[in-house]
Amino acid sequence: MYAIAIHGGAGAMPRAALSAEREERYRHGLAAALDSGYAILERGGSSLDAVNTAVRILEDDPLFNAGHGAALTRDGAAELDAAIMDGRQLRAGAVASVRHVRNPIDLARRVMEKSRHVLLVGAGAEEFALEEHFALVPNHYFRTAERLAQLEREQRGERVSEILPASRGTVGAVALDGAGNLAAATSTGGMTNKRPGRVGDSPIIGAGTYARNGVCAVSATGHGEYFIRAVAAHHVCTAVQFRGLTLEQAVRELLGILGGMGGDGGLITVGADGTLVLEFNSGGMFRGARNSAGRREIAIY
Amino acid sequence: MSRLITAVLACWLAGAMPVLAAGPHPIALAIHGGAGVMDRAKMTAEREAAYRAGLTAALHAGYAILERGGTSLDAVAAVVRTLEDDPLFNAGRGAVLDARGDAELDAAIMDGNGPRAGAVAAVRHVKNPIELARLVMDKSPWVLLVGDGAEEFALEQGVVLVSPDYFRTERRIEELHQVQREHAAAAPSPLPKGTVGAVAVDRDGNLAAATSTGGLTNKHLGRVGDTPLIGAGTYANNESCAVSGTGTGEYFIRGVVAYDVCALVHYRHLPLAQAVHAVIFDKLQHAAADTGGLIAMDRDGNIVMEFNTPGMLRAAHDLHGRETVAIFRDDK
Repeated sequence: MYAIAIHGGAGAMPRAALSAEREERYRHGLAAALDSGYAILERGGSSLDAVNTAVRILEDDPLFNAGHGAALTRDGAAELDAAIMDGRQLRAGAVASVRHVRNPIDLARRVMEKSRHVLLVGAGAEEFALEEHFALVPNHYFRTAERLAQLEREQRGERVSEILPASRGTVGAVALDGAGNLAAATSTGGMTNKRPGRVGDSPIIGAGTYARNGVCAVSATGHGEYFIRAVAAHHVCTAVQFRGLTLEQAVRELLGILGGMGGDGGLITVGADGTLVLEFNSGGMFRGARNSAGRREIAIY
Repeated sequence: MSRLITAVLACWLAGAMPVLAAGPHPIALAIHGGAGVMDRAKMTAEREAAYRAGLTAALHAGYAILERGGTSLDAVAAVVRTLEDDPLFNAGRGAVLDARGDAELDAAIMDGNGPRAGAVAAVRHVKNPIELARLVMDKSPWVLLVGDGAEEFALEQGVVLVSPDYFRTERRIEELHQVQREHAAAAPSPLPKGTVGAVAVDRDGNLAAATSTGGLTNKHLGRVGDTPLIGAGTYANNESCAVSGTGTGEYFIRGVVAYDVCALVHYRHLPLAQAVHAVIFDKLQHAAADTGGLIAMDRDGNIVMEFNTPGMLRAAHDLHGRETVAIFRDDK
């Protein structure tokens, strides 16, 4: 059994906010990421490569809040966070607050594989990128006209990020490969109009991203501060590991806890047996799931 | 009577722990000044006395707050601020230096009531990072701010920034040079590396945790350890426990150590000592030798201070009014 799930952010998402044409573009973007990740699993590749690839594709797609097309800070710049975790040996790598790295998920992977650290932030993370021969890009590479307009409306006092699809949230992927290894990856531009230096749950191992072989892999999206305080991703895995909850029960419990705190968002998870659970307590979540038993779906609401 | 039942019920419904016994909750405080490979033979009596004095001063600063009815949050912040100001410890002034010879500081604070949290990472000009973490928690909608953005927030909050020189001490400069000569970041240090931290419970039964650090000697610019990451190096929740960790941060991050202890207490109903033992010895020591230690407190105020390194600078004022200050394993 092998399986993969991806998400492209959760939010209020009133149906009227998304035209049929735009919805089609989102579905197309999700399908491209899902199928590219799945293809890696299908040819015997690792879950780590699968989640890395799926997230890189979503980072490159300007529709989603990560990499090119990320949400902008109050200064109009993109500041990106990403994390990846290998469930095999609980290895992890993460970067936060980077401004010139085209694919933050690739840099997070490099932190995991080539440094003795787990988390690098800001200019220091970019210095590491240069040491590892990443080509840096100017910050305007990430900025799209749509995100600028969104920022301007937000700064005029409109709460657009609560209306527009994929304006908050993140992108992410979780996978189980044929060898039984679990992996998770998450990447984001954070919240529109955020303060420079603000870091959400995505790059925090245990909050927005977590994977442990034999238990589960989780990637979260939503109001990051709540996911940090709830230690969301790890909560789900400890509930499965220590208390014998099913993955679905664990995810529902966590969403209940977040809801009680006033937080909203969603999670995608895969269990050690390939069970896929994609849940959210917001209006919608861009998501996709595919497994070797023939399931394939793309959904928004 | 029915009013009491209603009050207890309302308390329970609000998710707070009902304090059934009349009167205030017993208070307790535990603190640490870092775990590490400390060699007793190389520790002079004078140095040991200085550590003990530093720990005692911090313990008293925090305990005085609890004793006069202050919050656990104020107590842990006061302890950590005192240790940040003491050049012997790896936090604030006297923090270890990064590869460029500067201090880059991380800190977090968490209020078990809520729970609420605030943290900062990679700040270079904030005299007391724990106070900035507290401001992030109290005055911003965020939990974690890093680098220049965190310092911008500090200025907006009226925090006076200091020169990087403020943090640098002769000893840390020598230590950095030694490590850089030996190309080994793990070179045994005469000074504790680790971090400083505190956990406490106050008269209302609220738990709190705080941790602050300069990280690793000769670390890569921008490296952030477990200290400012909620669930890794710092965690507090009135429903389970409060934890502050110290050690090789990367292992604490990957193991989500602080939250792991509290999850074992909360969901597996393990006594605190067993939960800490499972995490420090079964999980962390399995990952690597000398990974570190932690201090933990459950909601009744029981204290556990455990480590898999030769020593951990630690002190406590327990539920029974007993005060301890210790460094090595066999210290009482």
